[in-house]
Amino acid sequence: MKKIIGYLRSMRFGILLLALIAACSVIGTVIPQEREVAWYAQNYGSIHGAILLLRLDRIFTGWFFILLLGLLGLNLTLCSILRIAAVARAAKDEKGRTARLRDTVLLTPEGVAALREKLLGMRCRVEKIGDCEVYTKRGLGRYGSFVTHLSILLTLVFGALALYTPTVTDRSCMPGESIRMSDGTEIYVQDFRITDETGRLDYTSHVRVTLPDGRRSELAELKVNHPFRFGGCKLFQQSFGTAGSVTVTNLETGGTDVFLLDSMSYLTIDSRNGIIFEQLYPDYLRAPDGEVTLITRTEGAYPNPIYAFEILADGAYTPSLAVPGDSLEILGLRFTFNAPTDYPGLRIKQVPTLYNSLLVAAFCLMIVGLYVTFFCDPVAVKLDAEGCAVGGPKPERMRIELADWGEEYLRESEEEA
Amino acid sequence: MKLLFFVTFAVYAAAVALEFTGTAFRKEKLLKAAWIVFLAAFALHTVFFVARGVAAKRLPLSNQFEFASGFACGAALLSIVLCGRGKADWLKVAALPAVLLIMTYAALQPMEIRDLMPALRSAWFGVHIGSAVLAYAAFVIAGCIGARYLVFSKRQEPDKKALDQMDFLSYRLVSFGFLFLTVVILSGAIWAEQAWSSFWSWDPKEVWALITWIIYAVYLHMRLRSGRKGKKMAWFLVIAVFLVFFTFAGVNTLMHGMHTYG
Ligand code: HEM
Repeated sequence: MKKIIGYLRSMRFGILLLALIAACSVIGTVIPQEREVAWYAQNYGSIHGAILLLRLDRIFTGWFFILLLGLLGLNLTLCSILRIAAVARAAKDEKGRTARLRDTVLLTPEGVAALREKLLGMRCRVEKIGDCEVYTKRGLGRYGSFVTHLSILLTLVFGALALYTPTVTDRSCMPGESIRMSDGTEIYVQDFRITDETGRLDYTSHVRVTLPDGRRSELAELKVNHPFRFGGCKLFQQSFGTAGSVTVTNLETGGTDVFLLDSMSYLTIDSRNGIIFEQLYPDYLRAPDGEVTLITRTEGAYPNPIYAFEILADGAYTPSLAVPGDSLEILGLRFTFNAPTDYPGLRIKQVPTLYNSLLVAAFCLMIVGLYVTFFCDPVAVKLDAEGCAVGGPKPERMRIELADWGEEYLRESEEEA
Repeated sequence: MKLLFFVTFAVYAAAVALEFTGTAFRKEKLLKAAWIVFLAAFALHTVFFVARGVAAKRLPLSNQFEFASGFACGAALLSIVLCGRGKADWLKVAALPAVLLIMTYAALQPMEIRDLMPALRSAWFGVHIGSAVLAYAAFVIAGCIGARYLVFSKRQEPDKKALDQMDFLSYRLVSFGFLFLTVVILSGAIWAEQAWSSFWSWDPKEVWALITWIIYAVYLHMRLRSGRKGKKMAWFLVIAVFLVFFTFAGVNTLMHGMHTYG
């Protein structure tokens, strides 16, 4: 058992897991993920069966990958918990151990004085132990890797919560209308615009959220990069669309109705007469001979919208075009094409605020942990009349610094003292 | 603006030519001249960076060209900081051509200034991309030191102290780069939650940034815990630079993802 735990907490196991996670990640970017089965059959021929069998088509949600992440979590937990006690124990006796070191650098008396000055200049704490002095600094640095490992573990846990617990729904909503979610949350979209006053794309709407318990938000601005959160509901500006509309007037009764045109629609009175809306195009070019070329641009607001539809007269179809303001009459009905309306596609994420906050806190802890690990190396130097020795958990930086420092103070053997 | 970029490029190229000639013929004067020319190129590069920022009215790091140019500028700055104190002169012969190589990649990218798309108009823009510039620059310079170490250690009686310094300096650079790569990934995740609604989407750039992070984490563990040093670790750093280039350029050219607009 001890051996197994020893391996599970070892750095060797940690590196193996990281290497396997990296290898799976490479596969996950080389083989396109989450496509239809037919797509793999078409693109990978005879090996597509193996891809599907090994779940390489959804590697990041497959059991193997999740197992690797779980084992990494276990490795981090064991290594952090079991090592922190040893690190703290070592810290207690650090000065004593440093004092017992044999001098590795022999110094001239001037060298000893100069080094003492240098260490004090570095704001080291000094303690006299026996006939030597021990200089220490940044003792907290030894806990850097513990903090880093802990933060990675927390990132895995809170990351899983933040990624897999929200319910995410994409819905579009016409300005002036509301969306009602299954839990009773209501989202009202007051308006939406694609570009700002200067013509720059900015996809902004004004929305209001009413929670199932009746709490209602202020009218808030929603745009890309600026989601709006109210209670456990977070709204994102995700996509947008442009829908046409037509006003139909019954010439006999004078009654009117407005129909939204965002997909192919049949507007007929008797199935033999009326119009069939096909598509709204953003722009068009008209040649001198009157021929129209339709433009299918997708970015931004429609500069010159044009409706493509078919006139249905006594069962015969005639392709036709109309711009906003145009109208036509067919068998007692007048169809008037209106200016199109832009509408937002909203992503509605329902997630407890706490998870996101905890994850961001884990991120901050990771940055602190890494900073402490790499940039706060603990200093522990023993200095006596003969020379000095560098101790502590990370002596390398100090050793390199000393090797470069004051060559004139070094001496090689006793005789030179 | 384009002209200024190409003049900068040419001055970097001149510095590299002088450095190589000086090294080949062991001419101190040429080496000194190479360094002065390199400093001049860096000054021009800084002017270009500022001018581009003023013209674009934003931090000029938003697409492949701007990022590559910033990356080269970052690598040049790190080389200057490291060599400036005269303690790492051995780095120049490897670092100067690396800067030129990144500039060459930048020169091959479309250079026109475009308005920032809405997804990029965020406070995270500078933190995320600025950190990426620093991280990549540190990894590349660490790789250059690795290469220098390998060449230096082939000498009949290599100076052990110099080798130790190279090894330690490359380790410090990787630590620096690793910290900044972590900032790139974490700030990217926070930004992704705001812009795309999810902290992580397994987008190719995210995945390759993670792979790069893992590979450097392995290096740091080998160095910190098993105390491994020397040639093996130097090879590690040289090879890892190719991974950095793949994450940067390979992913953008070969894979389609959410960073494609960059
Ligand atoms: C977890 C999420 C993210 C990760 C891991 C990530 C990673 C990276 C990395 C490694 C770079 C360095 C340059 C490069 O290799 O191209 C980079 C650059 C960049 N990132 Fe991200 N990023 C993330 C999210 C985002 C988000 C949300 C946005 C914008 C909405 C964004 C926009 C950019 C841009 C514009 C660049 C610089 C231009 C370029 O070279 O492509 N990133 N990102």
